[in-house]
Amino acid sequence: MHRAAHTAFCDWPQFVRPAMIRQSLKCTGCLQNSARAYSVVPAPRDSAEKEMMHRMLRVDHAGEYGANRIYAGQMAVLGRSRTGPLIQQMWDQEKKHLSKFNEILAENRVRPTALLPLWNLAGFVLGASTALLGKEGAMACTVAVEESISEHYNSQIRALMESDPERYTELLQVIKEFRDDEMDHHDTGLEHDAESLPGYWLLKNAIQLGCKAAIYVSQRV
Amino acid sequence: MAALLRGLRAGRLLRGLSSVVAAPTSTTPQCRSLRRGFHCAALRLQDESKSDKHSASSSYSSSSSSSTTHDDYTSQQDSDPSSGDQEQDEDYETEEQLQARILTAALEFVPLHGWSMEAISAGAEAVGLSSASTGMFTNGAGDLVLHFISQCNSKLTEILAEQHNEVQLGQAEPKKTADFLRDAVETRLRMYIPYMESWPQAMSILLLPHNIPDSLKHLSTMVDDIWYYAGDRSTDMNWYTKRAVLTGLYNATELVMLQDSSPDFHDTWTFLDNRIQDVTNMAVTAKQMQSTGQAVAQGLLGAAVTLKNLTGLNQRR
Repeated sequence: MHRAAHTAFCDWPQFVRPAMIRQSLKCTGCLQNSARAYSVVPAPRDSAEKEMMHRMLRVDHAGEYGANRIYAGQMAVLGRSRTGPLIQQMWDQEKKHLSKFNEILAENRVRPTALLPLWNLAGFVLGASTALLGKEGAMACTVAVEESISEHYNSQIRALMESDPERYTELLQVIKEFRDDEMDHHDTGLEHDAESLPGYWLLKNAIQLGCKAAIYVSQRV
Repeated sequence: MAALLRGLRAGRLLRGLSSVVAAPTSTTPQCRSLRRGFHCAALRLQDESKSDKHSASSSYSSSSSSSTTHDDYTSQQDSDPSSGDQEQDEDYETEEQLQARILTAALEFVPLHGWSMEAISAGAEAVGLSSASTGMFTNGAGDLVLHFISQCNSKLTEILAEQHNEVQLGQAEPKKTADFLRDAVETRLRMYIPYMESWPQAMSILLLPHNIPDSLKHLSTMVDDIWYYAGDRSTDMNWYTKRAVLTGLYNATELVMLQDSSPDFHDTWTFLDNRIQDVTNMAVTAKQMQSTGQAVAQGLLGAAVTLKNLTGLNQRR
């Protein structure tokens, strides 16, 4: 879709020859720098910023991918129960988040984390095993994971706001929107009796520890 | 040391002011040699000069902008400030740009001296500096080879971007992935043809332990560029497998090219074609295997459900 718009943008000054040459040059520049006006992430000014942005986007992408797999695991067990539609709804929102991050990664030529197969398996196993504990187990897992993710997004928002809020407006908007969605999922989990699971405190902390480790590793690998 | 730095900074400011006030288009030879002298002194001070240059250039630009408000001439520069600054920038180059210039000139002497310090000093002399300025290049021949590689990569990226542009503007047909990869690897390897005799020496230099990180970095950025322009936008494990495959392809073809004596390296391109065909076949086979596996899994599931029905386990009582 972006490429079609891009072609249209490059094509319209066809009747003005010098403008066309300038436009095609602009296209080359655009493509090389990914600095289109409607890109969410601003073109990095130097390699340090590029490194920081890529790290941020990589770990966010890994997080959404993992969350996607967790919900898939939960659906595999509880899909045909009463909580099926609820989990499906939350899963659909995560799918939207993942596709947005896929788009951003492709646009900015960010390398995805090499541990994706690991998160694939681990997420599915986590979702399925907590769902085997029943609806409360699934909800407790949701609460724990969404709390970790919201905390992570909040620290990213803080970091971006501290460095340059104006430069990163669109990216901040995207992250804030996703953070709000994750908080909604967290609250939904609490509403649906997550805390009534025996061993809730233990499970929640174990999952959050795992999430912290996953975030740490995904930033670097 | 600090006094010397302050003197350099003051010297640059004065230079900036004097060149703005003086004739806008030409600079006096004394001014230029003075600048060269400052520049060579600056080259001695490695890191400190870099940070100093940043602050000096920022103070220089602020001084030039303040002086543009005063002078009359500068109404010319005011309307055309970029040309004035550009002219200053042409003479004021960073250490990296100077090194790049010397190394580019040194490439012409590689067929004669091989990839060595002799080639670099010949290049320095060709640019007009003394051959003692090769002291700048702590990595010696490695610097030359890495510079050449990064130059080839930039040329390749330019060519690919231009082709992409033509496709975007509808002036050319998009190529199939296999053809695109073949053309890109061939274009890139053809850049080695002028240096083919000494290329084994260059490859062995690249394999030295202290050069390996840089050469791997250049290789990985080249492979990433080729895949990006081939249209790869994957964000999963395919990102890694595609790049690994292309790296293997490129390295193998490069090695074959080293020992190829056919006219215009015809055998190498045939080898490349065959390997790309292999890769395509492998990809097709993998896809077929995946769909077969899915069909088999569904068949087994169906058989299991049938069995459950037959034995009555599926009934809910």
